[in-house]
Amino acid sequence: MVTLDRSPGYRVFRWINALVLTGVVIVTLYPFANIISRSFSEEQYIVTGQVNLLPRGFNLSTYKVVISDPMFWTNYRNTVIYTVVATAIAMFLTTCYAYVLSKKHLKGRTVLIWIAVFTMIFSGGLIPQYVLVNSLGLTNTLWAIVLPNAISVFNLLVMKAFFENLPGDLEEAAAIDGLNTYGILWRIVLPLSKAVIATMVLFYSVSFWNSWFTAFLYLHEQELFPVTIYLRNLIAGATTSESYGLAAGDVTQAASNIQSVAIMLTVLPILAVYPFVQRYFVSGVMLGAVKG
Amino acid sequence: MRDMTRRKALIGLSALTLVLAGCGGGGDGGEAADPAADSSLSRAGAMADFGVNQQFKATEPLEFEVLYNNHSFYPNKNDWLFWEELTKRTNVKIKPIEVPLSDYEQKRGLLVGSGQAPLIIPKTYPGQEDTFVSSGAILPVSDYIDLMPNFKDKVAKWRLEPELNTRRQADGRFYLLPGLHENVWVDYTLAVRTDIMEELNLEVPKTWDELYEVLKAMKAKYPDRYPMTDRWGDPTPGGNLFKLVAQAYGTKGGWEYQHATWDPAAGKFAYTGAMPQYKQMIEYLHKLVEEKLIDPESFTQQDEPAKQKFNSGKSFVISTNAQTLINDYRGPLEKAVKGAKVAKIPVPMGPVGEYKIGTRLENGIMISSKAKDHPNFVAMMQFIDWLWYSDEGQEFAKWGVEGTTYTKDSDGNYKIADDIDFIGLNPDASKHLQKDFGFGNGVFAYGGTTQLLQSTFSEEEKEFQDVMNARQQWPVDPPHPFTDEERERSTLWETPLKDHVTQNTLKFILGERDLSEWDAYVKELEAKNMTAYIDLVNAAAERFKKEHG
Repeated sequence: MVTLDRSPGYRVFRWINALVLTGVVIVTLYPFANIISRSFSEEQYIVTGQVNLLPRGFNLSTYKVVISDPMFWTNYRNTVIYTVVATAIAMFLTTCYAYVLSKKHLKGRTVLIWIAVFTMIFSGGLIPQYVLVNSLGLTNTLWAIVLPNAISVFNLLVMKAFFENLPGDLEEAAAIDGLNTYGILWRIVLPLSKAVIATMVLFYSVSFWNSWFTAFLYLHEQELFPVTIYLRNLIAGATTSESYGLAAGDVTQAASNIQSVAIMLTVLPILAVYPFVQRYFVSGVMLGAVKG
Repeated sequence: MRDMTRRKALIGLSALTLVLAGCGGGGDGGEAADPAADSSLSRAGAMADFGVNQQFKATEPLEFEVLYNNHSFYPNKNDWLFWEELTKRTNVKIKPIEVPLSDYEQKRGLLVGSGQAPLIIPKTYPGQEDTFVSSGAILPVSDYIDLMPNFKDKVAKWRLEPELNTRRQADGRFYLLPGLHENVWVDYTLAVRTDIMEELNLEVPKTWDELYEVLKAMKAKYPDRYPMTDRWGDPTPGGNLFKLVAQAYGTKGGWEYQHATWDPAAGKFAYTGAMPQYKQMIEYLHKLVEEKLIDPESFTQQDEPAKQKFNSGKSFVISTNAQTLINDYRGPLEKAVKGAKVAKIPVPMGPVGEYKIGTRLENGIMISSKAKDHPNFVAMMQFIDWLWYSDEGQEFAKWGVEGTTYTKDSDGNYKIADDIDFIGLNPDASKHLQKDFGFGNGVFAYGGTTQLLQSTFSEEEKEFQDVMNARQQWPVDPPHPFTDEERERSTLWETPLKDHVTQNTLKFILGERDLSEWDAYVKELEAKNMTAYIDLVNAAAERFKKEHG
């Protein structure tokens, strides 16, 4: 053991490891770096393929153009609201459900688990879902985004596994000291579960931040759209209609530097969250995984 | 994860379409009586005598929901002059259901499939209505065109009946109100570096064989470059290029690929991918690849690298339309390469002779079948007729309000107001016709007379159009509508056939498969039900001719 990290074989391994991983990092970071440099470049250099790692014709005017579009900010605000509300509701529901499921003495526990797992495998299909959401009167409201996705079964199972690993003795002790079920959950279990909670918040918020499909289905007014739809329309829009080769007259592709700027502005906040949560993130997922 | 959900959703959607197709029984059978006199139709708000080129004005304020394709370049604004003026003139308010342009088709499918579609569904391209017909959710508009005097007038005046017939379903009705052009409008062609042509003393090529000579001369001078690279290869390989070359040989390829092509000599349909003409197209393109005259990546690359190659002067010929010529090439190219000049050339032709090939039908409108029971049905049809099909409505949708957004001289030439820009007519203006006023909007403004169409064209583009319009129009293929059951069967065959044709077209052109294996390839198509397919088409064409021709 002592000699392991000094043995020549191990040193070679570490070098190769470092090299390969550096390669992976470069491959992963390059597209992102390219987008950053595009967002600061002049359109002229982008369409002639001269922008790689460093911006050419450095300017901030594209940022000014995008920032001055009121619809971008309306949609941006929507994304923030949807993400915060949806994550809060999702956390509440998932935690409650997972905690209940983690109690082995619960009657009908298997049935409850299977009800959840069933939705992972089967779904009603797009149109029935749409009809359901519509007849509940949720279309064109925040709730159409929030409620149908409030419980992710995957997250639920990870959380359940985590709760199952907490020593039952702790809860028994708390019960003897006079706490009821809710008190146990609130005062004992949750404070011990910061890791998994942080992980789940991250999972949920990233997925709500990035999601566009639900919003696209259930919302009919652009004032309600999240910024992801704004972005998608900007990038994918022109390409799809061009492929018809028909109504060329009304196709104008957004300049590629505008696309890059919109991507940057959309990705930044959620990117900034990562470093802060990562600490919990790693240990959290592991904790759920090594269930004996 | 998200991708999975989407895929699942799509599968769900297509499954439902099939279920609905199974239920069948669209429409209510039998020819409808003359709808103009039909007293069972609800006429609230309608004009008693609405005629050609007459201003439509509803007798009471009305509101209709319209599926609205929201363009990222000019997103909808509720304070557009277009909305205000439209209501003032017609007494109709449109309530737009805003759908991002990027996924318009999917949402349209969802809304129609779930029965929640608004009454008016524009931006539907000819052929896209086919999948909805059997569900019964879409109105057979052909039963009601007597309510639309302007539409009828244009069809008669411009002799559009043959084109319109291609939209008829097996029941003899059509379900889409297509946009109508007075003339075939050819826009897509090749852009050529004219400075290189001058340098090498080359004539503008009139045929693909002459283009071959031009490319060869360019290659001789610049042996280290591919004289041609191409865009629009994704998602349809060789979208524009295959289309144009195939046309010159009398067949269909690229964007325009259809399984059946009418063979006038034989008087019946032939399977496109196995036609000798299709082979000729492949042979021509293969020759270009073999002699390194065209970048072999041309057929499948993304637009971005293609533009980069062309704009940095690494190649001299590329596909274009009027707009990409200006937006994508001319500006960047002239800045990057000193003295570079680029222009559209008239579409090169081939053995079939000089034709302009294309359709006079544009994207158009579907109407939900529930509209028929709407209290304002007749008024709605009159409104659609006025806005989308009358000269006045088309002018309004495209140019706006005379004296405010444009002026018109005695010769009928349009001039945009000085402080307004529209497709580069007034690049320094502070306001934009589409973004700030809502005119020239792809949802409402398309088709119409050649004069109206060309009113926004530059001199250069008008010259191109004059050359193209001097050519004869390619005759329209006879209609061959499938019944529900036939459509189901043919759909099952179409996908494997098309995949095989596309793959092998590319293989033959790139030289990965030798052309001596052509017969083997046709046999492979045979094994994929090519003959059964084409028999189905011919039988359908025959039946249509007998029943409705």
